[in-house]
Amino acid sequence: MSYSQKSSFNLSTIIFLLLVVGFIFFSPFFVTEEWSSLPQLNTIFLSILIEAIPFVLIGVLIAGFIQIFITEEHIKSWIPKSKVKAVFMSCIVGALFPACECGIVPIVRKLIDKGVPLYAGVGFLLTGPLINPIVILSTYMAFGNDLRMALLRMGVGFVAALAIALVISFLFKSNQLKHKEHSVTKSKVKHPPLYQRVKGMFEHSIDEFFDMSKYLIIGAFVAAGLQTFVAAQALLAFGDSVYHSTIVMMALAFFLSLCSEADAFIGASFRNLFPTTSILAFLVYGPMIDLKNTIMLLSVFKAKFVFVLFLLITTIVFLFVSLTSFL
Amino acid sequence: MKFHLQHFIKAVILGVFVLFFIDLHSTGTIMKYINPKYENISKLAAGIFILLFFIQLFRIFQRKGKGHHHCGPSCHHGHDHGNEQFNLSRLFSYSVMVFPIITGFAFEPAILNSTIASNKGSIFSQVNQKETSPLNETTLTDKENIDIYSSDHVPLVNNNYLSNEEYEKKLSLLEQSETIQMQDDIFGSYYEALNENPTEYVGRTIQMSGFVFKEDGFNSNQLVLSRFMITHCIADASILGILTEFEGANTLKEDTWLEIEGVLDVTNYGGYEIPVIKATGWKVIDEPTEPYVYPVLTLAE
Repeated sequence: MSYSQKSSFNLSTIIFLLLVVGFIFFSPFFVTEEWSSLPQLNTIFLSILIEAIPFVLIGVLIAGFIQIFITEEHIKSWIPKSKVKAVFMSCIVGALFPACECGIVPIVRKLIDKGVPLYAGVGFLLTGPLINPIVILSTYMAFGNDLRMALLRMGVGFVAALAIALVISFLFKSNQLKHKEHSVTKSKVKHPPLYQRVKGMFEHSIDEFFDMSKYLIIGAFVAAGLQTFVAAQALLAFGDSVYHSTIVMMALAFFLSLCSEADAFIGASFRNLFPTTSILAFLVYGPMIDLKNTIMLLSVFKAKFVFVLFLLITTIVFLFVSLTSFL
Repeated sequence: MKFHLQHFIKAVILGVFVLFFIDLHSTGTIMKYINPKYENISKLAAGIFILLFFIQLFRIFQRKGKGHHHCGPSCHHGHDHGNEQFNLSRLFSYSVMVFPIITGFAFEPAILNSTIASNKGSIFSQVNQKETSPLNETTLTDKENIDIYSSDHVPLVNNNYLSNEEYEKKLSLLEQSETIQMQDDIFGSYYEALNENPTEYVGRTIQMSGFVFKEDGFNSNQLVLSRFMITHCIADASILGILTEFEGANTLKEDTWLEIEGVLDVTNYGGYEIPVIKATGWKVIDEPTEPYVYPVLTLAE
């Protein structure tokens, strides 16, 4: 039963090695300081990790809970039959659900495994970290008690998530999980006593934690490396039109891999360098996809799907955010 | 009864995570990684680790099959059950898990320095275009007087809580006192006020400490006296710095900590007015035990 896992693991190992090799190869072009910054890198790495781990733990506990207590039958009765309705519902549930982009990956995987359609899972994956009370409040505060940015972030983010999930619903029919062998029949055969199910829930959470956190660790390390060795100003070399700066801010959001609850303050610190449109792109794009959660997604979904999802998120967020500049 | 090596390794790893988190909190090192207001959620994480550790302990000596009553022999949903064959990729994945713990115990957390500061981009381009920003029309009091953390469902404790009264008092000190004291608890608010209306404070004396940071193209008498402000964790640090001028500034190395006293003035930098401190006195000090500053959060009535 470990064969499929072995091959999937090799893929992510290869991607990781490519990243490392690429980083070392290109580093002379933008490295600003020698290796004496390693302690700084280690500190940033650990701080991203220490900050993210509580949210991942909560995520795996919820995933464990879903695994043991929620059945395929429940899910079938909850999800509307029509695709559009299902996408709508998943985006709204995600918006009400407080999560960060790393904590939500194990939850989405478990939901899809339990029979939630892929497009609904994607809607939930995108709005969960982006729209929630903590993110709204921190955005509101970071932009000087100005509701405009917080509202734009939620509005554009919600519409973009709807669009992405809808496109996904037309592109993919199967659930795109790496391990499709999951048999629907077995999970409801037995109904063990409650204490055993609770124990099972925690055991699942432990396995899930071991599964997820290695990707979080790799992602945090790469993001910390970029912060330590790459000057933000190198990004400005690409040009200074609104479209350029929007792309720059999206790239920044991707590589910095900040938790969605903290990124508003970082975004706000760029508002003097870049127009509002570009800042908005940073705020909407980052929670939907970033480096550390791409690596986590690659461990759950087929590489081709993650790639398509990445392209979709990038183009749709770019388009929608650009449209707001005409408002 | 059978000894499960994989479960044993997992228990050990969870155990070291427990130790790591307990160590972080008991020594206070956690403050060098994240904003203290996130301490509680991090303690919650330590609690969850302890719970998971004990549950994992029982799995080490489990009769075969018993552990997976919820998940029969046909279980294929591909997660790490820990009872598969031990192979290279597993070894790699456990090493990845242990890696941050090793570096965490082996190395002291570094204090962010001028290298990181220069990666964050020019300080002055960040502050002085504020006036042109359409989103920046609120007053300072509006900006800070917000009670977002008191009723939040995440229990947060912030070292930098000030009551409204204290906060107002401190703010009025900025306008009235003879010397502006850039203390840690109010640093961010004062800094913002100084940069929003630099001309208003011309001629006032100021006392401030921070580390030396330099940008390309500085004169020999110029440096930036800076602090890092932490919102969430070290990764989101932003740099706050004030241009400072005195003879001999070029002799000071970056990252040296200084305490200075001087008179505020304005200068033109890249077409924008920014505050500058004409230092009248300065001395080198040790790096403070709490090198970072945090945004002010005022208590609601």
